Amino acid sequence: MSEHRIELTVDGEQIAATVEARTSLGDFLREECGRTGVHLGCEHGVCGACTVIVDGRAVRSCLMLAVQADGVQVTTAQGLAAPDGALSPVQQAMHDEYALQCGFCTPGVVMTLTALTAGEARPTEAEVRAALSGHLCRCTGYQGMLRVARRLSGANG
Amino acid sequence: MNDTSLIPAARFVGQRIPRKEDRRLVTGNGAFTDDVAVPGMLFAAFTRSPIARGRIARLDVQAAGEVAGVRAVYTGADLRRLNINFHQLYAPDADASHLWPLADGRVAYVGDPIAVVVADSRAIAEDAAALVEVEYETEDPVITLDQARALAKPIHPQMGAKSAGEAATPADPGLAEVFANAAHVVVGTIRHQRQAHSPMEPRGVLAQPKGSGELTVWLSCQSPHMAARYLSVAFNRPAHSIRVVSKDVGGAFGLKTQPWREEVAVIAGALLLGKPVKWTEDRLENLTSANQAREQEITVRLALDADAMLLAADLEYYTNIGAYPHMAGANSLAMAMFPGPYKLPRLGFTAKAYYSNTVGEAPYRGPWMMESLARETMLDVAARQIGIDPLELRRRNLITKADQPFTMVSGFVLDRITPRETLELAVEKIDVAAFRKEQAAARAQGRYLGLGFAVYAEPTTMAMGGPLSTEAAQIQIEPTGKVTAVVSTHSQGHGTETTMGQVIADTLGVPFDDVTVLEDDSSRGGFGAGAGGSRQAVAGGGAARRASGMLKEKVKTIAAHLLNASPETVEIEMGMVKVAGAEEMTTPLAKIASAAYFETERLPPGMEPGLTTQYRYRPPPIVFSNASHACVCEVDRDTGVVKVLRWVASEDCGVMINPGVVEGQIAGGVVQGIGGVLMEEIGYDEMGNPTAVTFKDYLLPTIADVPEIEYCHLVTPGENEGGFKGVGEGGAIIGPPTMVNAVADALAPFGARVLDLPLTPPKLLALMDNTEISSNGAAP
Amino acid sequence: MKAAPFDYVAPDSVEAAVDCLAENVGDAMVLAGGQTLMPLLALRMSQPTVLVDINRIEALQGVTRGDGATRIGAVTRQADALTDRTIADHAPGIPKALRFVGHYQTRNRGTVGGSIALGEPAAELPCTALTLGAKIEARSVRGTRLIDAEDFYLGPYTNALESDELVTAVLFPDLPHGTITLAHEVARRPGDFALVGLICALTIHGGTFHAARIGWFGMGQTPLRSLETERSLVGERVSGIDLADVARMAVSETDPADDHHATAAYRRTVGERVFRRAVSQALESA
Repeated sequence: MSEHRIELTVDGEQIAATVEARTSLGDFLREECGRTGVHLGCEHGVCGACTVIVDGRAVRSCLMLAVQADGVQVTTAQGLAAPDGALSPVQQAMHDEYALQCGFCTPGVVMTLTALTAGEARPTEAEVRAALSGHLCRCTGYQGMLRVARRLSGANG
Repeated sequence: MNDTSLIPAARFVGQRIPRKEDRRLVTGNGAFTDDVAVPGMLFAAFTRSPIARGRIARLDVQAAGEVAGVRAVYTGADLRRLNINFHQLYAPDADASHLWPLADGRVAYVGDPIAVVVADSRAIAEDAAALVEVEYETEDPVITLDQARALAKPIHPQMGAKSAGEAATPADPGLAEVFANAAHVVVGTIRHQRQAHSPMEPRGVLAQPKGSGELTVWLSCQSPHMAARYLSVAFNRPAHSIRVVSKDVGGAFGLKTQPWREEVAVIAGALLLGKPVKWTEDRLENLTSANQAREQEITVRLALDADAMLLAADLEYYTNIGAYPHMAGANSLAMAMFPGPYKLPRLGFTAKAYYSNTVGEAPYRGPWMMESLARETMLDVAARQIGIDPLELRRRNLITKADQPFTMVSGFVLDRITPRETLELAVEKIDVAAFRKEQAAARAQGRYLGLGFAVYAEPTTMAMGGPLSTEAAQIQIEPTGKVTAVVSTHSQGHGTETTMGQVIADTLGVPFDDVTVLEDDSSRGGFGAGAGGSRQAVAGGGAARRASGMLKEKVKTIAAHLLNASPETVEIEMGMVKVAGAEEMTTPLAKIASAAYFETERLPPGMEPGLTTQYRYRPPPIVFSNASHACVCEVDRDTGVVKVLRWVASEDCGVMINPGVVEGQIAGGVVQGIGGVLMEEIGYDEMGNPTAVTFKDYLLPTIADVPEIEYCHLVTPGENEGGFKGVGEGGAIIGPPTMVNAVADALAPFGARVLDLPLTPPKLLALMDNTEISSNGAAP
Repeated sequence: MKAAPFDYVAPDSVEAAVDCLAENVGDAMVLAGGQTLMPLLALRMSQPTVLVDINRIEALQGVTRGDGATRIGAVTRQADALTDRTIADHAPGIPKALRFVGHYQTRNRGTVGGSIALGEPAAELPCTALTLGAKIEARSVRGTRLIDAEDFYLGPYTNALESDELVTAVLFPDLPHGTITLAHEVARRPGDFALVGLICALTIHGGTFHAARIGWFGMGQTPLRSLETERSLVGERVSGIDLADVARMAVSETDPADDHHATAAYRRTVGERVFRRAVSQALESA
């Protein structure tokens, strides 16, 4: 099996490593980069818990190989809070609206919402809900996420 | 019955305090079992049976063992080198002759683990697991409930062909007469399909043996204490030598009640090898080999009089609990709870559980929920048959305040519950009259809206005996004045760090942020059963309240002594110790604490220094909560797809510690119920191969499948400490019948019954397409 | 669920990619968006010896125009195709189908070419290619060829590519003036495989059907068209057709099967209804 040298940035940190071809980006982030906040809930791209931002796009890290991440910028939930510890607006919204219970699906949801709200234009509530339909949650019944969708889209509660 | 004298003057209890757990979880800094790494850690993977039943004719692990990076391969026979007492946690004395962590000689279901490979990485372990050579003498398996109850052949030869548990009411010769003379007899069979708990975090364990004979186990579990105790018994090791750590758990819902076969096999492997071994279950394993639930069938006969008053119920219940259930048994609680909060004078039942060549059962959020599913759906069937409004039928038969305390025919005593009141609140919130108009107009256009109700009482706390009897809280005011509490509760999303913190902060009189709640480690704090049975608010909250109360008394006594005041005039508010009428005496709690620890000569003579208490609370064996739910849905006439439009949860769980947490628990359960009714299905083909092995086929509800749930809250405190009642399982108990009743109401013009779950689009479309609607729109 | 071992190469040119495929005939698989292939690798249902990653080949990116067609590079991300102006202007049927494809997250990596090459019977893009008369541009060491979509899908996950051929682009010819397109699907949840999927391109001149293309997904072993129904519509007045009859005829040309989610009977019944609803809505708003 081939091995490959990769260099990438994870949450602003420069990482250089040698990876086996078959290692997924999700596994690499967890095991080699200390990003255990990237959660593997299914490893077949449905649950969304492993979602991270790669070069500005929300993607499923279980569906990328680490070797494909050479030269990219990756952001995970562990890289969002401010240096003084202040939660990002998305993280704060999730907290305020009771949008998490066990926290396992949460980092992936946070990254989708972060990618959606990164641009100048606010997403519509429908767009946020549609994007969140790519996340499975077994604890909350999505109730808090519905409130977060409203809040992040700027719609009135 | 809102007895406010029992509700403490609360600053935090009753408030939607944001959770303490959130900060680490939204920043991805949780500590789930797979997040933990120890030096020299190895990884496990399993070779599993591809057939549902047969004898292992040949098993050769040599090729697997020779793969580079593989450290060991263990089979069922290898594990016998350890004297493992592999038993059912809640039935430790039950027959365990068939129980072993790995298949040994025979396989009993597709996915049955045969060998565990330990290697330098999970990937290598999987490579090697594929090279374990197994030859089988395949036998025709027993898969379905029908096949299982025929008892044609044993699932476990050691046991012979017998049921996995039976229960029945004593013979009641008068029952038949009641039915014979009843004005109305209503009969129906409800079938519930098999479901997977499917927590977002699958199972996981990391076992680290130490040369000193100690064993540390990180485990995704529902109680570190219960797990440590179980493992101590299972591996014949002293209790103090086993430490179970479980900081964050990604949901459990009953699946992780006890370490089961793979977890014990991995721990055994670690012990045999003398090295740390981690197993993280993947989703394929979780959907095909982790224990499952809910495969049940019940035939209900109801007898009612001419006024639609319930006279009697006769139940025949069956369940298929697979090859290795966590606990064999006939689910008699489901039978005993069938009357619910209704006046049902007479009840007869038989209940039987069967083994089969499928994955075994684990309790799943409200394991007895068939009582509410069967009763509430059959009440609607009865109402339609008799020709009265389902709400009216309920109003006539529900118990009221005046009826309480009310002893159910099965012996449970219902008291301090509000089924009628919650129902009327739900009716008002939905605006039934307006809905019926909307429904009629829609039907005229060929659209099918439906409204369903369900009412139930939930037996929470489950402190009937054994390990579930008590929970403990150790509370310490540190010399700094901050509070550390070690509670035997355990959260897998329940938010107990927050709720216990609220109770403690309120009772002690300190800021919520000054309280830290620890519950993740069996080596600290006292034993408790943790999560399960909707008990933590009652039992844990009660322990926290009592311990805090005791500690507050001690602080008051010391403060009074130090400040020359009488203890009755001393109060603690937001971390400041105050003396009534003497504002200038106000002292920070930290100062009193410092004195308690470091200036012991100033303490009252004979008083133990320091500020620590423990209380082990024994709650009442059962504390009933109750709710009524309502659902509005539309069934698409063209496709049979159901859209849930509204959901009202009108509930009474006594004093709520945190309404945000309460609503979250209800919502989670409701959506699991929606999933169970509409889309989740674990199936097997006739050879016992599972048919839903990934999330592409095992469909969980998404955000697109749920409405914004509306809540009504009543507060009828329990008699127990704090007046709290359990609520964790309720949504998953009352959710399914509410959903079924809504669909049944939508499809009422077709006159079809919808009691065979799941109510998939093809099933509903066939019901609609194959039924002639009579000209007046009524059922044929 | 960790993949079995494989070697990985990421060529930076089409030439290098096809050379690699030719050298590893039968053992190599192409990695485009990975949204379908990665789960297959994780489940060990696919175990290639060599994985050829085409994501770094610039020549496979981008949307261009030429010869009355819109050429979509194979590695164009579904998310980008969804918002691409050229596609919106010249092949509006594509974004109509794309909005059903997967989820926000999977569209960020999933590619147009990858989905069309894979040909999942219940997927939107292969049916879109078939219905809109696309040509699949395929390249190998032997050169380049164009394969008509109607010759491309031979069976479930089986296409007309040689084992060392690479899809480099998909060309969508401009549809005649007066063509309305529609895409509709019935699925259990958003992003799920379609139980029934329909894509149509209907060309109407002066109230008469000039051409009709009716494509289905989730209704057979491959995406398929109701060719006889299409022919029967040509020359008919739009106001004169009985949509129920047309729907019945169109569905009779499909070949659905039973699976875990729905029966063939369900698919046929719902297919007829979806056809009537979607086509009548499209005709009304035309």
